[in-house]
Amino acid sequence: MRIICPFCGERELGEFTYLGDAKPQRPAADAGEDAVYDYVYLRDNIAGVMSEHWYHGGGCRAWLKVTRNTLTHEISAVEPTAGAGAAKVGA
Amino acid sequence: MADFSWDVRSPLDRALVAGPYGVQGDAGVALTEIRNFDLIQVMARRGKAGETAKAAQARFGAAAPETPKTVATADATLIWSGPDQFLVLSKGGKHTMAALAPVFAGSASLSDQSHARALISISGDKARAMLAKLSSVDLHPDVFGVGAAAATSMDHTSVTLWRGDDRNGQAVFNLLVFATFAESLWHTILDSAAEYGATIGHSEDL
Amino acid sequence: MVAGAQTHRLANGGVIDRSTSLSFRFDGKTLLGFQGDTLASALVANGVKLVGRSFKYHRPRGVLTAGSEEPNALVELRSGARREPNTKATTAELYEGLEAASQNRWPSLNFDVMSVNQLFAPIFVAGFYYKTFMWPAKFWEAIYEPAIRRAAGLGRAAGVSDPDHYDKAWAHCDVVIAGSGPAGLAAALAAGRSGARVILCEEDFVLGGRLLADGGAIDGLPAAEWVARAVAELTALPDVRIMTRTTLFGVYDGGTYGAIERVNDHVPVPPEHQVRQRLWRIVAKRCVVAAGAIERPIVFAGNDTPGVMMASAMRCYINRYAAAPARRIALFTNNEDGWRTAETAIAAGLQVAAVIDARPDVSPAHRSLASKGGFPVLHGSVSAVDGGKTGVRKISVALTGGARAEVEADGLAVSGGWNPAVGLTSYHRGRPKWRDDIAAFVPDGAPPGMVAAGAANGAFGLGACLREGFEAGAAAARDAGRGGNIGSMPVADDEAFSLTPLWHVAGKGKAFVDQQHDVTASDVELAQREGFQSVEHLKRYTTLGMATDQGKTSNVAGLAIMAAVSGKSIPETGTTIYRPPYVPVAIGAFAGHHRDENFHATRLTPSHHWAAEQGAVFVDTGLWKRAQWYPHAGEKDWLESVTREVKAVRSGVGFCDVSTLGKIDVHGPDAGAFLDRVYINAFSSLAVGKARYGLMLREDGIVYDDGTTSRLAEDHYFLTTTTAKAGLVMQHLEFCRQVLFPELDVQLTSVSDQWAQFSIAGPSARKLLQQIVDESEDLSNEGFPFMGAREVKLRGGLKARLFRISFSGEMAFEISVPARYGEAMARNLMIAGKPFGVTPYGTEALGVMRIEKGHVAGPELNGTTTAGDLGLGKMMSTKKHFIGRVMAGREALTAPNRQVVVGIKPTDKARRLRSGAHIIPKGETPGPDNDQGYVTSVCFSPVLDQWIGLGLVERGRERIGEIVRAHDPLRSEDYDVELCNSVFYDPDGGRQRG
Repeated sequence: MRIICPFCGERELGEFTYLGDAKPQRPAADAGEDAVYDYVYLRDNIAGVMSEHWYHGGGCRAWLKVTRNTLTHEISAVEPTAGAGAAKVGA
Repeated sequence: MADFSWDVRSPLDRALVAGPYGVQGDAGVALTEIRNFDLIQVMARRGKAGETAKAAQARFGAAAPETPKTVATADATLIWSGPDQFLVLSKGGKHTMAALAPVFAGSASLSDQSHARALISISGDKARAMLAKLSSVDLHPDVFGVGAAAATSMDHTSVTLWRGDDRNGQAVFNLLVFATFAESLWHTILDSAAEYGATIGHSEDL
Repeated sequence: MVAGAQTHRLANGGVIDRSTSLSFRFDGKTLLGFQGDTLASALVANGVKLVGRSFKYHRPRGVLTAGSEEPNALVELRSGARREPNTKATTAELYEGLEAASQNRWPSLNFDVMSVNQLFAPIFVAGFYYKTFMWPAKFWEAIYEPAIRRAAGLGRAAGVSDPDHYDKAWAHCDVVIAGSGPAGLAAALAAGRSGARVILCEEDFVLGGRLLADGGAIDGLPAAEWVARAVAELTALPDVRIMTRTTLFGVYDGGTYGAIERVNDHVPVPPEHQVRQRLWRIVAKRCVVAAGAIERPIVFAGNDTPGVMMASAMRCYINRYAAAPARRIALFTNNEDGWRTAETAIAAGLQVAAVIDARPDVSPAHRSLASKGGFPVLHGSVSAVDGGKTGVRKISVALTGGARAEVEADGLAVSGGWNPAVGLTSYHRGRPKWRDDIAAFVPDGAPPGMVAAGAANGAFGLGACLREGFEAGAAAARDAGRGGNIGSMPVADDEAFSLTPLWHVAGKGKAFVDQQHDVTASDVELAQREGFQSVEHLKRYTTLGMATDQGKTSNVAGLAIMAAVSGKSIPETGTTIYRPPYVPVAIGAFAGHHRDENFHATRLTPSHHWAAEQGAVFVDTGLWKRAQWYPHAGEKDWLESVTREVKAVRSGVGFCDVSTLGKIDVHGPDAGAFLDRVYINAFSSLAVGKARYGLMLREDGIVYDDGTTSRLAEDHYFLTTTTAKAGLVMQHLEFCRQVLFPELDVQLTSVSDQWAQFSIAGPSARKLLQQIVDESEDLSNEGFPFMGAREVKLRGGLKARLFRISFSGEMAFEISVPARYGEAMARNLMIAGKPFGVTPYGTEALGVMRIEKGHVAGPELNGTTTAGDLGLGKMMSTKKHFIGRVMAGREALTAPNRQVVVGIKPTDKARRLRSGAHIIPKGETPGPDNDQGYVTSVCFSPVLDQWIGLGLVERGRERIGEIVRAHDPLRSEDYDVELCNSVFYDPDGGRQRG
């Protein structure tokens, strides 16, 4: 599999580390145990298009949001996460 | 009082044996370790990309790279190393931490990487063929021209690879590898180069 | 020794170099062949018919094909450590001195004891493994399996380490083409001319594919000449790379292709510094599969007799190798193409005994060929073959009208039609589709970017192959953004192709479907009767198609027979899933450089070579090589060395390279706030110039990692991690920075390799250090108290970072110098410490001292423990939010009966405590119900003069002083231990604050 890193260009899978579903948002600091429990443990097992977190640890160390079809491995979009390239925030 | 000497030793000091290696005859690959350099990582702070760029322009007389490439300035090479960051490679103490800290104060965070890497320069007819065993990056001259850079991995080890100016009409690839991995990767490089014949040396000059 | 004569070598022709004679040995007999031969063609030229014994029944087998689809002619190639079993004679290039041996026979190929298996054939039916040896169960491993393995099998592995080297490489192109037949060459011409970067892979050692065997005329030129011109043109293009001896074996996501290049399989031993094989990962925008088609056998009784050969293979041996598989040839065909073998035989001066054509009609041209050649055309099917290990003698024919005929011949060519090589196009679960007109499966649902052309796509005529190949090559280049002039398309005539499907001729005797796995037509029928009708079940029940040839000649026939007996059509019956590799690939090629000491990358500490000089024993810790201890002459074992090192530290001073700890620079205005969120304790409140021990949790409340973090400036912290987790913590922190808390202004860099870090520990640590640092530096308790962190100047002017932290319980410092000074630092510490008896110590002594001091490490931070379990619950801030806080508060993670860290020592001081022993209450029976925890870390404590340990024990801290049992079923040990304070040494901590 190959992923087009928005910073580095197309790279082979070996440079990346998979984390998982990028949909769940970390609850706010004051959220209750149920919300955190959901965030930590409850995951959809998606057969189809999924938004995922990948880390380009073997390259530029950016965390990426990859839209991938889990059935075909087709990747339709790759975006930086909010803090990757944050120096340009507000620019 | 004890008599100390603070000798520096490059990470390849022991592993590197100058001279020919592998197949005899015309060497297809030239491997040169560059020793004792200054390497400062510059990381723009949140929302400070513009200020960092201005500071770099003022300091180096050239714009710092914002995409995977290198910028050669009068006395330093600026190498892209990731989003919002680049490395300043230099010799002779002109661009040390102490020298650069005031330049980027408030706009970027600096980290001294001078001792964290070994620098290997790779050239020769078979440099690309040899590197194809180590790197998954396409190094065809149409794709990876002079000045191209990549933050990538070799042998599961993070490296920074860039193409310097051609020498004697041949491509020159420069490789920064983490110091503690350097000896291991060096042996892998030798294994890869052996069939082409290699000539090995080291240099103090960038 | 006198070499055998090449009795079956034709006087003229062939793509062989008759001026280069090669001698080789087969089963000990010396024979001669020519440069350009394969082992199979050389054996054919020498009249060798019997090449091996079959897998299950030990039936005599010869050469069936002339390519990588060969099921029968498998040999052990080479000898000694280079012996390679199951090598296809049909693709093994002949070289001077080649040694090959037949397989699966004993004592010899001609007289094989195990051929009695044929007498027991009824028990070797489909599923016999499951049916025959059911009872008693324990006999399976002891008796049945070894016996079966001896009887059934293929070649023998070398049994010793492979002396050759392999490597792996990447290649990138616009268009990769599999196969250099007419379609592949035409594709390469079109793509290459357009300016595309092209890689043309050909598994053979000569380019041309079927043109080598079947010739023809292209652009008015003889095929060989056209090939030569095409190759010359391609070679002149700078971005076209032709790779012979290279098989494209797999397709992976994102346009990545696996290929195996047999760099030096065609020489006895690879030249020095060269590899035997190279594994390629080819990244291509487009792929053209021009892998051709595989002629398929017809299943009839005796179809495995040596001398029965695919019709196209026979043409290949005659035309390409000038080797005659037989002198009097019969041909059994159901299609037009098979007749070309009769034409070839006659042209080569061989006799044609008869053509047995299953079709009702034969073209006038072929009728006249028969009358000119003086051989009969029999309408019908081969029903039996009379022959044995010496080859075919007589062929029985069931004529269409019901009558019988017999044909005397020493070779039988068979053509059942052609199957496009659909492997590559089907590797992404592509399901080939059935085409009635050619009675074959053709590619469908190929992976993105891949297209089949020519025979691989079911276009069998030469003109069609060129057309499809050229168009596919042009389209692929266009898709890759190349628009150069592709010139004119090569042109040739299209041959007629008419076929009447025939899969199986009913008759007496074994009719083989899968010759490599000895699966017969009756096995397929039996599988159907027993309910294994799905092709996937059929495959696994009968093992059809599961051999090293992956059923290239057998799969379609097998499912056609299944379709017939189950009353379904072939497309309804379907195909099994195709998976790579297309041909067997040596594990060595996948490993490449990564074997033995290069199995994985290694990391060396800055003082590694100095430690090696001192005679250190190294231990692998993750990727690191770390000094484990430094043996002295006369020390009888590691324990004596380690004990000496510990005592030296506790009584004087020692040092240890701790550069393996992960080191991370945390910068930025929000660095403190960031650390507050990732650690359970506060760091924003840490004063500049101070260090603090920090603990990180995972989001689920379990401890992730620990380490000391120092504040070097308002906006700069220096964070350390454990050695094991260094990379993972960096990844985790980057996740926190970029994904969880992007609003914080913080920057992270690994500085693990920048600093050589040494721990200097012992009552004399300060005195030693004072020799190293500049006189102006105040290291007194007042000037630099416990948990201080600051930059210091060393004698000579070098700047270093100094930390007043202790892992050993002694007064200790950690000092960091830029890594290229690491070795000098070790040497200087030895010089400066000489008056104080300085002793370098390794990871074992480090471990002993941390256990004596009750510090937790990897065995306790094991992914199941909470901060509370480690006795660090009080560190958890209640005033701030941090990762893991909410989940750490869950009932089960705060339950009073959790297993917590406690000290453990045997009541018998002479007894050795062992890690992993379970803690059982006195008087209880060991078992899951009474298991209260286990011993995590042990050492021999020089201070206590006995073995001690740490463990995780239920309510352990409340039970100090209690005697429990350490139960160790693995070592059959059971002894009493006392639960005690985990801090065995200096519990007040006076020494480290000293």
